[in-house]
Amino acid sequence: MHRFFKRAAVAVLAALAASVCSLGASASGEPYESYNYDRWGDAVPSQAGYTAERAVSGYDLGVGALSDPQDLFFDSDNVLYIADTGNNRIIAADSELRETVHVYDSFTMPDGSETRLNKPMGIFVSAVNGNIYIADSDNSRVLISDKDGNVQGEITKPQSEVYDQRRTFLPQKVIADKAGNVYVVLGNITTGAAMFAPDGSFSGFYGANRVEPTAAIIGNYIRSIFMSDEKKTHRTRTVPTGITGFDIDRDFIFTCTASGTQTTDTVKKLNAAGKNIFADLELSFGDNTPMYATTKNKIMAPSIVDIDVSTDGCINCLDFTTGRVFQYDEDCNLLFITGTLAKQTGGFDHVAAVESLGSDLYVLDSMKDTITVFRETSFGKIVHEAAALHNSGYYEEALGPWQEVLRRDGNYNRAYEGVAAALLRKGDYKGAMKYAKLADAGKIYNKAFEGRRREFLKEHFTAIAAVLALMVAALFAGGRYRKKHGSRSDVKGKEEQP
Amino acid sequence: MMDLTQKQWVKHAVMHPVEGFEDMRWKKSGSLKIALFIILLLFFGEIAYGRLYGFQFYISYDKNFNIIPYIVRSFVLFGVWTLGNWAVCTLLDGEGTLKNICIYSAYALIPYTVQLYLNVILSHLLIRDEMVFMDIIKIAGVCWTAMLLFSAVKSVHQYSFGKTVFAIILTVAAMFVMLFLLVLFLSLIQQVIIFISTLYTELSYRARV
Repeated sequence: MHRFFKRAAVAVLAALAASVCSLGASASGEPYESYNYDRWGDAVPSQAGYTAERAVSGYDLGVGALSDPQDLFFDSDNVLYIADTGNNRIIAADSELRETVHVYDSFTMPDGSETRLNKPMGIFVSAVNGNIYIADSDNSRVLISDKDGNVQGEITKPQSEVYDQRRTFLPQKVIADKAGNVYVVLGNITTGAAMFAPDGSFSGFYGANRVEPTAAIIGNYIRSIFMSDEKKTHRTRTVPTGITGFDIDRDFIFTCTASGTQTTDTVKKLNAAGKNIFADLELSFGDNTPMYATTKNKIMAPSIVDIDVSTDGCINCLDFTTGRVFQYDEDCNLLFITGTLAKQTGGFDHVAAVESLGSDLYVLDSMKDTITVFRETSFGKIVHEAAALHNSGYYEEALGPWQEVLRRDGNYNRAYEGVAAALLRKGDYKGAMKYAKLADAGKIYNKAFEGRRREFLKEHFTAIAAVLALMVAALFAGGRYRKKHGSRSDVKGKEEQP
Repeated sequence: MMDLTQKQWVKHAVMHPVEGFEDMRWKKSGSLKIALFIILLLFFGEIAYGRLYGFQFYISYDKNFNIIPYIVRSFVLFGVWTLGNWAVCTLLDGEGTLKNICIYSAYALIPYTVQLYLNVILSHLLIRDEMVFMDIIKIAGVCWTAMLLFSAVKSVHQYSFGKTVFAIILTVAAMFVMLFLLVLFLSLIQQVIIFISTLYTELSYRARV
């Protein structure tokens, strides 16, 4: 009897252990292995920064199925606005995505008449005046309304000469800055976003992309020098890809460009003058070495369709090709890669928009018609804390979190750099050199080495001076000795002189 | 005069870019052993330059190590130069034998080799701001070697200045031709090996039935 109990206890314990193990494995139930890049730019397994919590459909919000939704936006009251494009409506849901706050499908014009949306592609809510800006694509207008559905204004095709009148007005995305200027991404314009003054008058284009000087383009240019004007007009023109999406973060506008071929200017940080701050940094966004998908016979080149800047300054770039969110800190160091192409929760089909609230990520899929909620993991929390401290200059305070990051994931390259910078600040040059070497941070290594060399010279000054003095003395003595006795060859040479 | 040991001849040739090789030729001096040793040093110098450089200047991809590029940069290039020069200059009434070309060219490579080692050592002592010293050493080494190589070709074949330039240009062209043929030959051999291995696989499948 006693033995039976013992066996039963062992069996129960074993079962418990097994279940704990399987729980541990299923805790990260995403349909992908999370990865990051090491110091050579090779993909390595990594801890996940986000975990997919749930996917929210229109039914969960009590408004029926969404249809081809295109945009998401959190306003300052943490209400989520969804541009339900196919159903021609805007849905406002609470931050937990449990219930719908309001469904906007018709608006009251100032003269009292009703107006309806037609394929609204973009949505923005101003934190300053609380107005909703809707890129009402097929109606060729941007609708500005208050939160009760009363239209405050309308922006239509500008009658300016700068705007090519043959082109229709196809607003895709819209944002407004603090001063009330409205920026509109247009589907068929490649010269940047259209910018409108607060009164709705057109004030020009903003933030055009540059043309990447590829071999073909340079070749075309050289050929065009020798062509008649008539022939030139019939040639295809070289134009950059237009902006696909943008987000505003206090004083800066971040734009992204979805293009399978363009690699410059895919993500830009524009100041008020429209100058790209990232322009000369030689940054790349998305996967480092795009994978070749054999089943689709195509190279999965990144195509960033939406961008979001979270409140702590992290830049979330949504890659349509791979269905992944690439999160960068404000200095454009890659933090996390989240998501994939898959049917399960955490995987996507046609990603359309990304939005963040606090530490959570929300990704909209226009094919699955769902919003996937990603929660920050404990690892993600530490990394974000460390990166935020580091980027605001508190290197030493960031040392603890960075070391914790390394304890959890020794592949996390950015942490080595953080530790190196902290140790350098502390004056531990030897440690800084070690970590800078691991982090591929030549600049930090250089500084640490300089300090270490100074330290070394100070410590061993007497020894170095003594050795130098001895060497000089030895050379001097050797020279005098040779002068006195003459070298062997010279003597022999003289003897054999003819 | 000029009765030097082989080691002293090396020093003499390197330190006297204009007359050194002429003297050496006049005394029929120069050692093949030392020449090959220099090329070996060049090979190790190239490796050190690629792998042991100071971290503040250069980051090497040290996940894998492929020795072929280093072999090509030292032994193969030197061999092709020697052969090419011999082939060209035999037709151009050059007096140098293959052995002498090999010896003189190897001696001429000494400044370049020394520069490699010096820079590797300096890269562990200097910081980025002081990089100009390393650049100066590198430029000096390369120029000195170029001068010596010119002088070596000139004296080994007893050419005039103009003819030496012409011979060097032809040698470089010959090197390209040889390297091209080498690559062609290697890819051809690869094809043959693939063909034989496929044949073997096919036969082994048939034999089993």
